[in-house]
Amino acid sequence: MRLFEYEAKEIFRDFGIPTPKGTVVNSPADVALAVEKVGLPLVIKAQVLVGGRGKAGGIKFAENLEKAVLETKNLLNSKLKGHIVKSVLLEKKLNIKKEYYLGVTIDQSAGKPVIMFSTEGGVDIEEIAREKPEMLVSRKVSISRGFYEFEARNMCKQLGLEGTLLTKVGEILRKLYEVFVKCDAIIAEINPLVVTENGEVYAADAKIEIDDDALYRQTSLNKKPEERVEDPLKAEAIRVGVTYVRLDGDIGIIGSGAGLTMATIDIINDFGGKAANFLETGGGINEQLMYNAVKLLLQDKRIKALFINLYGGINPMVQAATGVAKAYKELKVSMPVLVKLVGNEQEKAWEILESVGIPVVKSIRTEDAIEKLMKIIGGK
Amino acid sequence: MCILVDENTKVLVQGITGRAGSTQTKLMLEYGTKIVAGVTPGKGGTTVYNVQVYDTVEEAVAKTGADTSILFVPAAFTKEAVIEAVDAGIKLIVAIPEHVPVHDTMRMVEYAKSKNVRIIGPTTPGIISPGRTKIGIMPANVFSKGNVGIVSRSGTLLYEIAGNLSLVGIGQSTCLGVGGDPVVGTSITEILQMFNDDDQTKLVVIVGEIGGTQEEEASSFIKKMDKPVIAYIAGRSAPPGQRMGHAGAIILGEKGTAESKIKALKNAGVEIAYRPMDIAKIAKKYL
Repeated sequence: MRLFEYEAKEIFRDFGIPTPKGTVVNSPADVALAVEKVGLPLVIKAQVLVGGRGKAGGIKFAENLEKAVLETKNLLNSKLKGHIVKSVLLEKKLNIKKEYYLGVTIDQSAGKPVIMFSTEGGVDIEEIAREKPEMLVSRKVSISRGFYEFEARNMCKQLGLEGTLLTKVGEILRKLYEVFVKCDAIIAEINPLVVTENGEVYAADAKIEIDDDALYRQTSLNKKPEERVEDPLKAEAIRVGVTYVRLDGDIGIIGSGAGLTMATIDIINDFGGKAANFLETGGGINEQLMYNAVKLLLQDKRIKALFINLYGGINPMVQAATGVAKAYKELKVSMPVLVKLVGNEQEKAWEILESVGIPVVKSIRTEDAIEKLMKIIGGK
Repeated sequence: MCILVDENTKVLVQGITGRAGSTQTKLMLEYGTKIVAGVTPGKGGTTVYNVQVYDTVEEAVAKTGADTSILFVPAAFTKEAVIEAVDAGIKLIVAIPEHVPVHDTMRMVEYAKSKNVRIIGPTTPGIISPGRTKIGIMPANVFSKGNVGIVSRSGTLLYEIAGNLSLVGIGQSTCLGVGGDPVVGTSITEILQMFNDDDQTKLVVIVGEIGGTQEEEASSFIKKMDKPVIAYIAGRSAPPGQRMGHAGAIILGEKGTAESKIKALKNAGVEIAYRPMDIAKIAKKYL
C-alpha cells in the first residue's frame, strides 16, 4: 500500500527526518490559514498515488495568497493521470542548492534490503542507474545485523560529501533505513533530499510503500487500502479478498493462482480474444468468496462472457463450484459462463455446476477451454 | 533418484490440527508420504489421522527423527515456525503459507541459510516426486513418474503443465514450486543445479512468470547445464506496473518483462513454449 506524500512525511518527522514546513488542505477555504502557518512563497503539491506528478502538472508555486488559493482551487478535484486530487500539500518553498537521492528497497535475488544513495537527486532512480551509474552507490545489508550510521557515512563519503553535510545526510540515510524496517516497507525513498543555500537539509519529497501482507501489524497507520484505489471494482476486490487488475477486453476471468490466471489471459489473447480483467483468488477459496468474485465481475458492464479456471490443490473445489452455481442462479446470469475445474472432488464439483446449466470443461488443458469459449462467444 | 526428497523423507507437519493442515495431511498420507509427526502448540498428545501431535518441534524431532517440515501455520506465525524448525534440527522446510510479510521472509531465509537449512517457498505448492512422496498441496492425480524435472514459480500452473505432460505419457522426476513471493528461500537456479546432478532427470522444464529476475539469472547457469531445458513464461500480455496476484509478479520499468526473460533463456539455448500445451509437444522431441 502506497502512502500519500503527506503521510510519508508524517512518518519521516516521527523518525527525526527533517521535512519542509507544510500543511495539508482539502478546500480552498483553508488556504489562508495554511499560508499564515507555513509562510510564503509556497509550493502546492497535488496528493495523488501516482508517479510523474510534476510533469503532469501536479506541482504549482505561489508567491502570494491569491495565487495560492487559485492554484489550490485548480488542483483540487482535478484529474492527474487518472487520479482525482482530493487534497494538496502546501509547503514552504526551499532555496535549492543541491538535490540528493536516498532510497531503501528489497533486492529480490539477494533477499536483502538494499540502500541507495546518489548525488544526482530529482530524477528517478532508474534514470540515474542508466545515465550516471558512477554517481550511485548501493549496499545490500543483512536485515538481522542492521545498517549503521558509519556505513551510511561511508556511502556518502564515496560520492564526495564532507563536513557537516556528511554527518547530516549520513544520519538521514540511517533513519530512512529505520523507517523501512519499522514500517514493513517495500520502498522508502527521499527524492530529492534538498540541501538549501544556507546548508539546511530537507526531505522535499517522500515515498513509502508498505507491504500489504504486513498491514495487519502496522496498526499506527490505520489506513484502508480499498480507499486508496480509483477503480471501484479494485476497491471491491480488496474487500472481497481477491486480486483484481483491470484490462481492456470484454471477457471476464476468474482464476485460482496467479500463474494460471496470467497464462489464461495470454492464451485468450493468442486466440484473438481479450480479457477484461485479471482476477485471482489465491489459496483461500470458499463458497462465499467465489460468489463474491462472480458478483464483482458482473458489475463490469463491458463483460460479455465469463471464464473461470480453477485447480483444487489447497482450494476446495466443491465449495468453489457451489459458490459459482449459487451466483449464477441468484444473480440470474445471462451471459455465457464457462468453467474449467480440475482437482480434489472434481466429479462432484462438475455435477454441481452442470446441475444449474453451466457448461464445464473437464480437460486439464486451458487451451481446450479457451477454444470452446471462443466458439461460444462467436456463436452468439 | 529425485531431488530434495524421496520415499524415505521423514516429514513433520507444523500446524497439523488446522483446517488446511489436517486435510492436506490426510491427502499426503494417502499418497504414501512418510509423515512421522505433527506439531500444534497446546495439542500435544492428540493425533490427526493417526499421526502423533507434539507441542514443540524439538520434541517431535527428538521422538521421531523428522528431517523435513511442511508448514500450515498462519502467515503471521510463519517466521517463528521456521526458526523453531531450524533450531530443532530440521534440514528442509516447505513453507506453504501465502501472504507472509516480506520482512519476515528476509529474516527467516537469512537465519535458515546461516544454519545450512533449506527453505522452499513461501507461497509454494510444495514438492512432489511422483510415486515416491508428496510434501505439498498439489492434486496428486495430474502427476506421474518419469524423467522430467519441473521447477515453477506458480502452483496451479505447475499442475496444468505436469498434467499436460502426464496426459501424453511423459512422467516427472520431481516437481516443485519455488514460491511466488519477491523473496524466496530457494531460487530457480539452485533447483536447476540439483536437476543437473540428478540421474533420474533427463529434461528440465522451467515455469516462469513476469516480475523479478530469477529466470534471467538462471540463464547463465543453463549455459553450463548438460541437460535440455524448456521454459514457459506466463504474463506475456500483462500490463506494466500492476501486481498480478503474486507479490513478485510485477513489471517495473524494463525489468521483469516476459520479453526480457524469453530473450535471456533463448540465448542460453532454452526452447520456449508459448502455450502450456506446447511443453508436452517439445518434451517429446527430447525423450
